[in-house]
Amino acid sequence: MKNYMKGLMVGGAMLLTACGGGTEQKEEKTVVDIFQFKVEIAEQFDELSQIYMDTHPNIEINIETVGGGDDYGAALRAKMASGNEPTIFNVGGPQDVYDWQDKLVDLSDVELAGKAFDGALSGATLDGKVYGLPFTQEGYGFIYNKELLKKAGIDAKTITSYESLETAVKMLDSKKEELGLEAVFATAGKETWVTGLHYSNVALAQEFGSVFDAYNAKNVEFKYSGGMKKLFDLQIDYGRTPINATDYSTQVERLFSMKKVAMTQQGNWAFGSVKGIDEELAKNIGFLPMPIVGAKENALPVGIPMYWTVNKDLSEAQIKAAKDFLNWMYTSETGKDYVINKFNFIPPYKGFDGDNLQPKDPLAKDIMAFSEAGNTIPWVFMGYPTGWGMETLGVELQKYIDGQITWDEVTETAKASWSESRK
Amino acid sequence: MNYNKKTFCLFAGPIIIAFLMVLVIPLLIGVYYSFTEWNGRMDQVPNFIGLSNYIAIIKDEGFRNAFIFTAKFTVVSVIVINAIGFSLALLVTKKLKISNFMRTIFFMPNLIGGLILGFIWQFIFMGVFQTIGEITGWTFFQGWLADANTGFWGLVIIMVWQMSGYLMVIYIAALQNIPKSLLEAADIDGANGWAKTRHIIFPMVAPAFTISMFLTLANSFKLFDQNLSLTNGGPGGSTEMLALNIYKTAYTFTNYGAAQAKAVVFFLLVASITMVQVYINKKKEVEM
Repeated sequence: MKNYMKGLMVGGAMLLTACGGGTEQKEEKTVVDIFQFKVEIAEQFDELSQIYMDTHPNIEINIETVGGGDDYGAALRAKMASGNEPTIFNVGGPQDVYDWQDKLVDLSDVELAGKAFDGALSGATLDGKVYGLPFTQEGYGFIYNKELLKKAGIDAKTITSYESLETAVKMLDSKKEELGLEAVFATAGKETWVTGLHYSNVALAQEFGSVFDAYNAKNVEFKYSGGMKKLFDLQIDYGRTPINATDYSTQVERLFSMKKVAMTQQGNWAFGSVKGIDEELAKNIGFLPMPIVGAKENALPVGIPMYWTVNKDLSEAQIKAAKDFLNWMYTSETGKDYVINKFNFIPPYKGFDGDNLQPKDPLAKDIMAFSEAGNTIPWVFMGYPTGWGMETLGVELQKYIDGQITWDEVTETAKASWSESRK
Repeated sequence: MNYNKKTFCLFAGPIIIAFLMVLVIPLLIGVYYSFTEWNGRMDQVPNFIGLSNYIAIIKDEGFRNAFIFTAKFTVVSVIVINAIGFSLALLVTKKLKISNFMRTIFFMPNLIGGLILGFIWQFIFMGVFQTIGEITGWTFFQGWLADANTGFWGLVIIMVWQMSGYLMVIYIAALQNIPKSLLEAADIDGANGWAKTRHIIFPMVAPAFTISMFLTLANSFKLFDQNLSLTNGGPGGSTEMLALNIYKTAYTFTNYGAAQAKAVVFFLLVASITMVQVYINKKKEVEM
């Protein structure tokens, strides 16, 4: 009799545990999990999703942001492997689209796709199908403090070549004391994406011409190695040490925004960070080109940083909800207001007419000015072999900054690694 | 005592099944993948390439450097953490008025998760130290985490700070189990503090040594969270430990087969080292 009771209790306990996990509330809500990379908009994006959820009570949006200096690609792969697949995530370009092919929904029929500028969709198009919707247009260069340059007696408009840049840098360096500078540049050696991806792009975009050429290239030549080395050396020689310990926060917030340096390589996304520290300064900044001797010197690299993609392996309802949300973000009045004024994006879509929907911050304006004058070069680093930019080139550049290896050794290692990946 | 096979299966069964499914089977599947070339996509069958991944490990300079760095780190950490943990335990069992309070304080660092710890200390090393260095002009405080050396000691400092409290708790338990009669007898015989420590306390605490050494050895070897958040292997890959190297091979370079092979090697390494350590330590334990 006793054993029978024990058996019943054990059986009952097991039944309860089995049930506990299984029964779910009758959930009407469709869950859209977003795993995105732009740290600069994390807070505002959350706000926007709240607004959307208020007007669409049957949708639940959860946003996770991984980015900045961290490896978004690796984090995304880890997240997918863990089984918690996001509904909306990001891809950068052809390499990513190829890697994630079997997980991407064809977005060619989404309303937003029809509104994109010419060429804005090409980075995420494979076999004629559109797999990604562009975030924003971005550009980077040397963000400079207009007031400091004026004080030093330099006319920023004359800096259109390597020579003129070098002269200006030397001039600023000689006046460090009176301008209150620690150094001319804030060089972020620690951020391998700033060096290995963005910096290298200035030279390699002119070698390859387009992200597809980079993606299909079996080898990289470093055609403009000489010019690349010169400009990098300039940032090291006149950069505030320790360079390899300088990360994004240090370069933009602690150094540039606190006026300890005159210029730093970053993009228009850094506007928010500068504004957060010094609103006055944020109104007085602009872009200087990053001239590579022998190539197009007076140009800013402008491109699409990431594309929104939708996960094919989720329910119909979730996919539809994801598409609806993306559309809403760039076409509704509230969405457009956030995109321009809170995210500080430069939208690559039609429908942003009217003065109140034009980018207002000086960095975005400079980018648009360079674009209109045709002084741009494309972003090709999304066509690099997976991991090459940050982990190979970025790491080698750190060793170079430290003086452990020569420039030739950097390029040799980088070339070998590229060819190995593209065999 | 009735040993009912059915009851045993009923109670232990679910656990054994869970153990097999979560630990053993993935391990075996992993070993299978280590013999293939795989880019992580589930729709393709990875092609079998035999021992190529393992041979590649021998040539992999990054893996070798990570191994050397991890080994150095482990040796230093094990010694320092155990020394500090044991000293703290001795201190805290002295029956001072603030002993309980100190016990809590020393244990608290252990409650902070590895990732957050790394970021906090990163700020301390790169921000606070740097500022102190600039104000005082002492170059010792400047440029932390900018080179391999400071990166190494930075990691050691974090590890010691976090784990010492945990070991202290283990040693406290061991110290409190030493019969007072033994220590009193030694006092009567005229033994001084050091003699007592060497001949009575150390041998009696030996089981705790076994456990503590095992924990520090295994944890130091497998360190990942703090490595990722403090240095991310930089600068120039010089502070990359084994776990981080394997993670990057898999997720950054999408070379899952090679990473799996490295993981198998890693598993064998940690298992063999810890087994040897436990065996040696167990032999020295005194049975009461």
